[in-house]
Amino acid sequence: MSVHENGTAVSEVPSPAPEEIGPSRQAETREERSSVRAGGPAPGHVRHLTRLLASEIGLTFRRPRNLAMLGVLAVVPVLVGVAVRVASDGDAGGSIIGLIAGNGLMLTFAAFTVMMPIVLPLTVAVVAGDAIAGEAAQGTLRYLLVAPAGRTRLLLVKYANVVVFCLAACALVALSALAVGLVLFPVGPVTLLSGTTIPAADALLRVGVVVLYTTAGMAALGAVALAVSTLTEAPIGAVATSVVLVVVSQVLTAIPQVAAVRPFLLTSWWTSFDGALRAPVAFDQMGQGLLAFAAYVLVFGSLAWSRFTSKDITA
Amino acid sequence: MAKRARAVRWGVPVAAVAVVAAAVGTGPVIAAVRSDPSLPDRTAEQLLADVARTWQSGRMPQMSGTIVETASLGLPALPGLSGAPGPSGASAASLLSGSHQLKIWYAGEDRFRLMLPGEMSETDVVADGGTVWLWDSAANKATRLTAPAASGGGPDHAFPLPSGSTSPFATPEQAARQALQTAGTDTAISVGDVVTVAGRAAYQIVLTPKSPDSLIKDVRVALDGEKLMPLRVQVYAKGAAEPAFEVGFESLSFTAPAPENFSFTPPPGAKVEQGTVTPPTGHRPEAAAEAHDRGRVVGAGWDSVLVTSLPDVPAQKQEGKGRDGVDLGALLDGVKSSATPVSGEWGSGRLLRTKVVSILITDDGRLLAGAVTPEALYRAAGVKE
Repeated sequence: MSVHENGTAVSEVPSPAPEEIGPSRQAETREERSSVRAGGPAPGHVRHLTRLLASEIGLTFRRPRNLAMLGVLAVVPVLVGVAVRVASDGDAGGSIIGLIAGNGLMLTFAAFTVMMPIVLPLTVAVVAGDAIAGEAAQGTLRYLLVAPAGRTRLLLVKYANVVVFCLAACALVALSALAVGLVLFPVGPVTLLSGTTIPAADALLRVGVVVLYTTAGMAALGAVALAVSTLTEAPIGAVATSVVLVVVSQVLTAIPQVAAVRPFLLTSWWTSFDGALRAPVAFDQMGQGLLAFAAYVLVFGSLAWSRFTSKDITA
Repeated sequence: MAKRARAVRWGVPVAAVAVVAAAVGTGPVIAAVRSDPSLPDRTAEQLLADVARTWQSGRMPQMSGTIVETASLGLPALPGLSGAPGPSGASAASLLSGSHQLKIWYAGEDRFRLMLPGEMSETDVVADGGTVWLWDSAANKATRLTAPAASGGGPDHAFPLPSGSTSPFATPEQAARQALQTAGTDTAISVGDVVTVAGRAAYQIVLTPKSPDSLIKDVRVALDGEKLMPLRVQVYAKGAAEPAFEVGFESLSFTAPAPENFSFTPPPGAKVEQGTVTPPTGHRPEAAAEAHDRGRVVGAGWDSVLVTSLPDVPAQKQEGKGRDGVDLGALLDGVKSSATPVSGEWGSGRLLRTKVVSILITDDGRLLAGAVTPEALYRAAGVKE
């Protein structure tokens, strides 16, 4: 993590323009951004930030790659639902997957169980890992920083964009699962893990809690990936590093001999969303999870900030 | 100038790491130092007498809390006994390794709820009056247990809760009673430093075995300074700084739990079974249960050695997995392969050493186990029936 001295060129030559964004589109985007940047100085801070964020969000959700990933996120619950529907003739079983057959709302929770380990983190890592390194690789980071808006603010906007994407991804999973559950299965009062039965409306509320909790968990991963993204100019490297970190910590979680490290791993808190499925709701467990996420955001956010505000931008 | 600015910038993440590390690592330490628990001095006899009086009155305060059980017995990684998380994370055998959480809501002797959370699963024991429900969400099965007709054994036996030192499922009060009952003439009882458990100042009773053969250094029972309720039991092995087994409250509040905790109705679609009381809710590994049926105990107190014949492995294998999902055959094979071969005047066999338990499997098909040194096991093995 050496800091380059002033004027020292980074050895890596920026790779030629990437696949998705054509040159014309790129130009248009940058134009839009610089016009945003040209906005007034101090008084319009907030407005300026929101406009910058809006433009970032627009970019994120217009990128074909991101749309494709969101499409996959929406399709996985459909696959789970159809598979259970096809297979659930005889024995429904008692596991969370088996419970779907009896109640469509359970599909939401099952979808999160299935997707929390790798699918959701992967999409978040792609978006967050690309945030800074992607701009650097395209050679557009320089232009973003021409305006005196400040790197801190740019980083904040980038992270806010990642958080919005996390929320969108988790909400999409929940909505897709709800829709499929409503179509394929009967819907009624939901049986919690504790054996208590609650009305469907309450269950929807708990779906909301799960969405918010998983969003927080993904946002913590987003902070990690963003920090990695400031370290490199190869977006694929940042994405791969983040995913590898997720996989390694999941492997560590699975080994009983190193159980002592479990509370310190991000991934071991992701599954605590099942606290929303207990009676009473396990707020203590989920609260600890949120604290762990906050710690990750604090540490890796500050790491990203120091790196980003002190590094030489050459591309 | 620029260099200094950079140094300052890099100081920020360092500070962030320090803040988090302080919050994680020293939080308990700070809490312990700040509140510096102080309680009026009591001798061991006074304390024990007060405890006996409190327990004779038989009224535990209403409370709810979280119990954390941590076992680092030094068991080898045995097949079927791994604490790997998963859908069956709440299985009882997994309690023998790693750390586990148990929630308790207690409103009275016959109104309580124990909850063992697993990953996307949950095991519950809900007692309300004469009815006890055992709920296993992974199996989607509710078992209704009715109180034994001829209990009469006092509150200890009113409910089919597993108890005793072999059960890792014990609550602090059960474990403390067990420890105090075991203490006899062969035990030195002293009062340790006042400690803080679950944010409450607590006395510590330290039970130290006098026997040199025992692998156990001491057993520390923390008693709430005000209510004299056991808050924590720790078992220390000789030569170990960390407890080999610990069960204690992580959080505790003496408020009446919400009544809905004690009302259990089997959810629609669940399997409902009528349970009998004799099997202790299936939480005790089958091996231990069978050993109790067939084995005999040599020695007394801390030096007790359990001698039993090996379970019939092929028969067990045909049965498949036991009630707890523990494949006994595989388990025994695992024990055999990780044990070291030993021999002596008593014969030959295989020895499995853990921090607090030694297990000897002799070649003539006996199994000896105890919290004693291998030498004591050999002596017991030398005594033929």
